[in-house]
Amino acid sequence: MNFKTKLLSLAFAGLMSASVVSAYAAEVTLVHDKAFWAEALQKVGDAATKATGVPMKQNAYSPPEQYKAYMQSSIAANDPPDIFTWWTGGVYEELIKTGAIAELDDVWAEMIKSGEFSEGVRDFYKVGDHVYGVPLHLSRWIVLYNKADYAKAGISEPKTWAEFVSNAEKLKAAGITPFVATTQDGWRGFIWFEEIMLRTNPEAYMGLHTGKVAYDSEPVRNAFKIWADWYAKGYFSDPRSTEEVADFAKGKGSMNLIGDWAIGLVEKAGMKPGADFDAFIMPNMDAALPSSTILEGGPIMLSKKGLAKPEVVNALKYFVSIDGANVWAAASGNSLGNSKANPPNVIVKKISDDVAAMKTVAFPRWWEAVPADLQGEMVAELNRFMLTPTMETAESVMANTQKLNAAYWAEKQ
Amino acid sequence: MALATSQIDFAAIEARERASTKKKWPSVVVAAFVSLIWVVPFYYMLVSIFKTHAEYTANNPLSLPEGFSPIADNAISAWNTAKMGAGFANSAMYGIVGAGLAVFFAAMAAYGLTRISFKRQNFWFMLIFAGTIFPFQIYLIPLFFAYQKIGIINTHFGMLLFYTAVCIPFPVLVLRNYLNGLSREMDEAARMDGASEFRVFWSIILPNCIGPMTATFLLQFTWIWNDLLFSTVLGNREEVRSIMNSLQIFHGSYTTAGPNLTLTAALIASLPAIVLFLLLRRHFMEGMRVTGV
Amino acid sequence: MTDRPDRETDLQLMERIGWHQIKAVEDRAMKRNFWKAFAFMSPAIVLVCGLLLMPVVYNIYFSFTKWKKFAGLDEFAGFSNYAKLPGNPYFDTAFYNTAIWVAASVVFPLAIGFGLAVFLRGVAFGNVFKNIIFLPRILAPTAVAVIWFHVYAPHGVLNSLLALVAGQPVDIGWLYQDNTVTPAIIATFVWQSVGLVMVLVLLGLSAIPKDPLEAARVDGATNSQTFWHIVMPLLMPTLVVVTILSVLSGFTTFDLLWVMGVAYPGQRTLSLAVFMYFESFQKGSWAFGSAIAVIIGIVVFSVTWIQTVMQNRVDKMTR
Repeated sequence: MNFKTKLLSLAFAGLMSASVVSAYAAEVTLVHDKAFWAEALQKVGDAATKATGVPMKQNAYSPPEQYKAYMQSSIAANDPPDIFTWWTGGVYEELIKTGAIAELDDVWAEMIKSGEFSEGVRDFYKVGDHVYGVPLHLSRWIVLYNKADYAKAGISEPKTWAEFVSNAEKLKAAGITPFVATTQDGWRGFIWFEEIMLRTNPEAYMGLHTGKVAYDSEPVRNAFKIWADWYAKGYFSDPRSTEEVADFAKGKGSMNLIGDWAIGLVEKAGMKPGADFDAFIMPNMDAALPSSTILEGGPIMLSKKGLAKPEVVNALKYFVSIDGANVWAAASGNSLGNSKANPPNVIVKKISDDVAAMKTVAFPRWWEAVPADLQGEMVAELNRFMLTPTMETAESVMANTQKLNAAYWAEKQ
Repeated sequence: MALATSQIDFAAIEARERASTKKKWPSVVVAAFVSLIWVVPFYYMLVSIFKTHAEYTANNPLSLPEGFSPIADNAISAWNTAKMGAGFANSAMYGIVGAGLAVFFAAMAAYGLTRISFKRQNFWFMLIFAGTIFPFQIYLIPLFFAYQKIGIINTHFGMLLFYTAVCIPFPVLVLRNYLNGLSREMDEAARMDGASEFRVFWSIILPNCIGPMTATFLLQFTWIWNDLLFSTVLGNREEVRSIMNSLQIFHGSYTTAGPNLTLTAALIASLPAIVLFLLLRRHFMEGMRVTGV
Repeated sequence: MTDRPDRETDLQLMERIGWHQIKAVEDRAMKRNFWKAFAFMSPAIVLVCGLLLMPVVYNIYFSFTKWKKFAGLDEFAGFSNYAKLPGNPYFDTAFYNTAIWVAASVVFPLAIGFGLAVFLRGVAFGNVFKNIIFLPRILAPTAVAVIWFHVYAPHGVLNSLLALVAGQPVDIGWLYQDNTVTPAIIATFVWQSVGLVMVLVLLGLSAIPKDPLEAARVDGATNSQTFWHIVMPLLMPTLVVVTILSVLSGFTTFDLLWVMGVAYPGQRTLSLAVFMYFESFQKGSWAFGSAIAVIIGIVVFSVTWIQTVMQNRVDKMTR
């Protein structure tokens, strides 16, 4: 009987070691949370496998919060993945502080020397004196609009704030809901808050992230007033919808404020970029302010363990190469900032030209800029406003978010 | 134990109740009206799975479908989008192997606890039974961390290991009670004939425990099949994902699945448990009777 | 055994070889027996200790550290994680909602399940109705949650039925608003669990011996007298167990809240179980999350303790 017990434990140990051993086969696995890009990433992986000779795979953890939990415990257990995607901003700095993350200064020196990447892009991924990530995607936040609706209402792309507002008014008058905006997946609540803050008071917008501007201050209240007023006028679609992209594609609203990564998703939902829908950069309220957009840049990062493996570094280099960027653009509709690669679609091309012509400056996204500890609770509060969009809710949202914000910064000092 | 109902004769109860049935129609009407609350959600699910997304959106949710054909599309698309095939296979494996091993180990433990006399039996029983008194939340963080550390997070082995463990204590309680009530004459006789303990367990006790073992197996299988919490925390990768976890796909990021699809998926995910219940109704009822669960 | 002299009694044997030796022999046999038994119990003991009991110890340990996100696992925090709980606005709401769950899952499944059991016992086609009401029990809670998520949806079943009654479109976001979300999910929980309560009560009712009922009838007791003085006391043990079962499954419910609460901005406040998940697996406050898990454990223990007390009292009453 003792023998049986031994046999049993041997079997367990055998099974266990089998599952551990398989992880050590020579291949590169990109760990990420973008399940919706799994196929596209695998296409880049296949191309990389051909180019570098080492199999490259991808492994999706979804949803994002689950992925963060995985990363936290893997680093706490001292076993981070070699190569993985992450976010910039507060969570980026937090991760770098653990000391488990590799500096990519040498990789970047090569990338810039080749003339394919600008120093501006590099600095976007810099913390202190070092760079810790390369772009997975660089997305500008723009307004997608339905061309047929615009024609029906007899309007064109707005160049000023007044035009933007009157467009919404004319669409509404024509029986078309101007904006699609939902709380789908729980993270979207910040989108319009961020944009209205940026358009009305960029300085206050930036101040929010450093604790200098309170969430119940006048600039914020002003943004909520505009937002609530548009809701009252019926400018927004039902926030409870769980299919924002489809809502836009089906014409439930004629404009969708979103990252340019969504262009590929809208295309998949049946609209042709350039023909059925196009995009513009939202104008500022104060025309004297420089043109600006929110820029979202998802990074790919290496752990120190990963940097020590040449096959991992080669896979990373392939991803940002012209070939890699082209495969990625074709598969996902994303640009990663390689200036010698093809633009992924006509809309991104057009926006890039606009950015160059208007000298548009980039602002960080609220999602990345807000302290990581506050992100979840605050966005839930903003969602709450969208579901009951009155000034009464706004006041309580402002009070709650400021309470969280004040407590956070007080603890920081 | 709690329900002293071991001598229930179902047929007799039925007969007795039929005899005493009041033929008052008003109460039948009231009963029918009340049971509508239970029927409507099922009706809603059944009509929705026969609709396309467009049809679902355009009509009242309770309206009859225009035809039957969309169900094929819905089923195929639900099956593919959520990779339900893999979820099915995984959950079936976790359920059959996990609950099977658990009930077998429980029978072994119950044998040791009831057929071999040694000191502090009660302590060892309580030690095993202690596995049922904690809320699941208290296991999550340590398991997640430990699984990560030894590299069995998101593996079939890791999932199976936990499911087996968590399904042991309850069958131990049931089988221990059962074995205590089972006559010892047969095993004493076998022992006299020089049979080893394992032989006594294997060829005398086990065959006599088939009834309660089946009942507890079914309960534990259903528990594993239905589990969402642990498969979310310990097995969230596509290859090891359980069926309930793959249902979540429709609730998660960036999917544009309509209710027609989601409901089809929910029905598909429930089918095995429903079929099992209908086929083995008696064993389930038996399980409920001995356990009150 | 064979070398034992004829006709020696046990007592004589003991005297011959001495008490101590007997005890030693017995002890040795017990020890040998223990290892035999242990071999049978070992898979169960190893698995239960390794995967269920050890984690509990570790969880308690974690709750006294400063583990947050990537670090702090090796720093001792004392009771500070617990001290932070009462001040946290989400904890207060989550605790309040958990209390509502405890109360609701005592009252509703029992009252409705019991009522239906008694009512349907005498009705024609009673078995059809019973089966219908038991049906949701077979479905996985996740599947039930998915169905009801759409029943409660803005353009869902409930609103369209209400619109029929009201004669105008109804557009209530049941699962989106503070004041409706918890009652709505509790209703779903009750909808699913009533069938089991009903069946258990029916089993309890049919186990009641006929004799005292007949005797009471002969003595001229009214129906309600029979019910309150004979049926209820006999049914009490069943009711107590059923109550405890539904309470425990009620306020530790995760699946329903997780799936149905997904669109509600305050999802983290729906119950302590969900709050714990958010704090640890979403926010990375691992030590704080461990502390919440301990609190849930304490609540469970209190309920179980009340159960034991109640059950003992009932046992005394009925025996």
